[in-house]
Amino acid sequence: MKVFILLRWFFKQERKSYLIGIGMLFFVAILQLVPPKIIGIVADEIGGRTLTAKELFGWLLLLILTGLTMYGLRYYWRIYIFGSSVKLAKQLRTQLYDHFTKMSSIFYQKKRIGDLMAHATNDIQAVQQTAGAGILTLVDSIATGGFVILAMATTISWKLTLISLLPMPIIAFLTSLYGKKLHKRFRVAQEAFSSLNDKTQESISGIKVLKAFGQEEENIASFRDQSEDVVRKNIAVAKIDSLYDPTISVVVGLSFFLSIGFGAKYVVEGSLTIGELIAFNTYLGMLIWPMLAFGWFFNIVERGHASYNRILSLLNERADVKDQPEAVELVPSGDIKYRVDRFSYPNTDRYALDTIHFSIKRGQTLGIVGKTGAGKTSILKLLIREFENFEGEIKIGNIPIQNMKLDFYRRAFGYVPQDHFLFSTTIKENIAFANPNASMEEIEEAAKIASVHEDILSFPNGYMTVVGERGVSLSGGQKQRISIARALLLNPEILILDDALSSVDAKTEEAILTALKENRKGKTTIITSHRLSAIQHADLIIVIENGKLVEKGTHEQLMTKEGWYRDMYHQQQLEMEVKRGGSSSNGK
Amino acid sequence: MENKQLNSKEQRQVLIRLMSYTKPHKKQMIFAFLLLVLATIGDVIGPIFVKIFIDDYVAPAVFPFDELFLLGSIYFFIIVANGFLMYFQSVQFQVIALKIIQQLRVDVFSKVQKLGMRFFDQTPGGGIVSRVTNDTEAIKEMFVSVLAIFLQSGLFIIGTFIAMFYLDVKLALLCLLFLPVLFWIIKSYRQFSSQFYQTLREKLSQLNTKLNESLQGMAIVQMFRQEERMKKEFGKINDEHFQAGLKNIKIDGLLLRPAVDLVYIFGIIIVLSFFGVTSMNTSIEIGVLFAFVHYLNRFFEPVNQAMQQLSFFQQAIVSASRVFQLLDEKELAPSQEESPAAKITSGRVEFRNVSFSYDGKTDVLKNISFTAEPGETIALVGHTGSGKSSIVNLLMRFYEFDRGDIYIDGQSIKTFPIQEIRKKMGLVLQDPFLFYGTIKDNIRLYNEQISDDQIRDAARFVQAHSFIEKLPNGYNYHVTERGSTFSTGQRQLITFARTIAINPKILILDEATANIDTETEELIQEALVRMRKGRTTIAIAHRLSTIQDADQIIVLHKGEIVERGTHQQLLSKKGLYYKMYLLQNGLSENMVDAVKE
Repeated sequence: MKVFILLRWFFKQERKSYLIGIGMLFFVAILQLVPPKIIGIVADEIGGRTLTAKELFGWLLLLILTGLTMYGLRYYWRIYIFGSSVKLAKQLRTQLYDHFTKMSSIFYQKKRIGDLMAHATNDIQAVQQTAGAGILTLVDSIATGGFVILAMATTISWKLTLISLLPMPIIAFLTSLYGKKLHKRFRVAQEAFSSLNDKTQESISGIKVLKAFGQEEENIASFRDQSEDVVRKNIAVAKIDSLYDPTISVVVGLSFFLSIGFGAKYVVEGSLTIGELIAFNTYLGMLIWPMLAFGWFFNIVERGHASYNRILSLLNERADVKDQPEAVELVPSGDIKYRVDRFSYPNTDRYALDTIHFSIKRGQTLGIVGKTGAGKTSILKLLIREFENFEGEIKIGNIPIQNMKLDFYRRAFGYVPQDHFLFSTTIKENIAFANPNASMEEIEEAAKIASVHEDILSFPNGYMTVVGERGVSLSGGQKQRISIARALLLNPEILILDDALSSVDAKTEEAILTALKENRKGKTTIITSHRLSAIQHADLIIVIENGKLVEKGTHEQLMTKEGWYRDMYHQQQLEMEVKRGGSSSNGK
Repeated sequence: MENKQLNSKEQRQVLIRLMSYTKPHKKQMIFAFLLLVLATIGDVIGPIFVKIFIDDYVAPAVFPFDELFLLGSIYFFIIVANGFLMYFQSVQFQVIALKIIQQLRVDVFSKVQKLGMRFFDQTPGGGIVSRVTNDTEAIKEMFVSVLAIFLQSGLFIIGTFIAMFYLDVKLALLCLLFLPVLFWIIKSYRQFSSQFYQTLREKLSQLNTKLNESLQGMAIVQMFRQEERMKKEFGKINDEHFQAGLKNIKIDGLLLRPAVDLVYIFGIIIVLSFFGVTSMNTSIEIGVLFAFVHYLNRFFEPVNQAMQQLSFFQQAIVSASRVFQLLDEKELAPSQEESPAAKITSGRVEFRNVSFSYDGKTDVLKNISFTAEPGETIALVGHTGSGKSSIVNLLMRFYEFDRGDIYIDGQSIKTFPIQEIRKKMGLVLQDPFLFYGTIKDNIRLYNEQISDDQIRDAARFVQAHSFIEKLPNGYNYHVTERGSTFSTGQRQLITFARTIAINPKILILDEATANIDTETEELIQEALVRMRKGRTTIAIAHRLSTIQDADQIIVLHKGEIVERGTHQQLLSKKGLYYKMYLLQNGLSENMVDAVKE
């Protein structure tokens, strides 16, 4: 029930719909009482042969009117109540989505996407159920149940009502008993099913091993055993599940038995007419649904409460990177002064960066090299303000980066991340991601610089090819180059390529670098790479090892020193040879 | 495959094929059906008793105790007996449904196990899993609820009409008028709802795709400051989904319960006017009126229930079509032209002019020939994509080669029964894969012929025994989460034991490159040396240091053999192998020379 208090804001917002819908439900509950009553009265007149055509016509007219009114009301309360609940789902989804767009990397590292998806689908659905079916079952069971019992007791016979309702609590008692058992067995069955799922998963992941050892048949046998176990446990569920209907029908039958038996006694005594007895029985039949609904109500609300709590706790997560109150609306430009003394990722005690100091002038190119995990990307992440909790200071154009509003700050950057993520839309829209209004010329221009224009034209649908669609599969290198084009389209003040050339071959890399040199004149470019060839021509190269800056200088300067850079340079030269098949003689 | 719309003919075919799964359960089906018939008779007969009671006893007000007691007892007995019948038929139907689904599941799973590796290359694993479990689960819904409810409802309606005809033929004929009306409602509901429901599902799947993608690419979205646009796009789909949801509510409201309830009112009107008009001329039995009203009260509930199952039905058909598609998959594992007596005895392996391609276009292996004499070790060396793994894939018969042939002991590999190949050729994969179950299960891998002692011996042989014994429960220790509690090296040793337990003649090693701690590394190298002794070994070597003693080293590049010889021979050649060797040993001074050469 607490969930209704938590959802107060929504009921308040939609109070008109709910008030009208609930009002209609009540009205339907009252109207429902009319047909049995008419049946009773007409039956008596038929029995007594006092019915006139005019009377009959009148009653039938009333029946038709009642029926049509109920039809209308039933249609509209659905729209008011269920419609509102769908609206709630929509609003919650929007709230969550808005919230997701505000959360920073820390949040996404902590949460698994699968879980977030589950919140946005299953949990929202459970809350929607609460605001729809939950309200319905509550109102309807109280209204219908209440009015029917009231009608039975006041207009027909309160004694007969009491007597025939006597067995009804048995239903409530037994169904709640079944409910507990069912829940337990259902969980066991679910577990069996999920381990069957695991088994299947494992058999597919390990298919090579199974085939290599020729154990397919044996594995099938073991799958058969497990699926038999699933069957057994589901039969246990079925055995309880099947109890509901018969129980209800026996108890209701008992109720009818009592009502007819005692009803007949009252008829003979003269305190009841046969018509009233028929009406009474019809009322009795109308009580089954409210009783079941009441049971469902608790189920729905319980689930909804748990789900809504999960959604709320997600919505209560705070954004880690936020604008400071005094931040200015400024797009940064100018020299970059990078002075980071210490930085560690949240919830770790290892320093990811330790004393990284360097500066580059506006328009220069910076190369960052080092092994995987050395800290190259961490340097960039601080620069693009994915994380802020570091010791030290980063300035662009002499202004500390935190002093600029994030939305303005980020306008200066074009970022190509390591994991080339593309959206499942056309290539054109992917390149124009940051500027959906870009002209075709601009898009093609960016693609040409990124050396991917020709590739794109070779696809059957050219720029309109949808990424990730069956039939066309983009290679890693093509995806990388498209994401380079995406960043280039902005013509950003600062372009960052985070190991963004790793999947392109040497020739293409050279082409891209040459084109970039022309295109990026006067603008700052930062490139991190495994491969030294990508940064060889940079104005400044820094070598990172274990989060520390170990070497610094231009290619020529670094080649004169005996250190990591020079060793790596030779090694990579040789690697290139090996990749080409070792024929060094026809190399350069 | 996911969103494919089925036309009604295809739907019917799927349904018929699905129904053929009930054949083995014919007897139980008939039994359950009989129970259902009995239960329905009980259901229908109750009101007739009440009618007799009212017309013969209450109306004339005669109450002979004995007769009434009998009547009451029979009525009561019918109620209770009916409860039992309902229970047993319901359980029976569910048991049959579950067994059918199990059969279907085993069929799909067996099929999957028999498919060739090519299929697994092309199909994402998640999809296959969901065919075997989730789709069959959706079909289960159909068998459990849809089928049972359709049958129950159908029988109940038939039973009710029989009773009505028994009570009053004319009125019953009038009531038959409902059937076309109901039929029309169901038909139009089905037509509209399947269409609207489809849209709703589509919108939901779009919504989820969008959300999932946004979550994955949130860093990009934020970096390029496209939050507002993404919100708008998401909002648009969200709104479309909302509209589709409203449409569904409307169609449900127009044609589902409210409509059926309205038909009920018209039913009452027909009954009342019939009796009313009749009563103006002749006297009638009021009990018949009671019975008819009672039937009408209950007549429409099954209709409502059946209509609500329609969407499940639709879903089940879609799922079933996907399952059948997998069952009809043609990408089978390579077949053997076996001669049953063929045995692998000495373990001589020969590749003769073997060419192979994964996609039928570009050859990944071109004209490969080499021979491994019994007991020899052949090492395959080369860069990623050079074709090393393909050679192993062909030797293991995971894929069919296109040209040339592979000979074992002088006979084409195709002539051996596949079980003989599996028994005599032991593969150790680069990524040690452990299954759920105990260590023992993992070494034995379902092969019941391997005794516990043999398992221990195998583990001792590869030096895994000592660490296994230290585990709680030793060999009965349960492997969890694919063995993530073990180090890579330990997992590797367990898979070594698995291979050694079958005592193969030919050993095929895809050597591990993963980071293994030095301590286990030594154990592994030692184990490898022991394993190779007396066995023909084909080894893919990622680290050259481990195969220096190989009888022959084959250097591959882009599917061709570019160098071959012993370690010393290849080094002195100063070719590709030499360069790889320098690279791996970090001899940077020599590197400069090598590049210059």
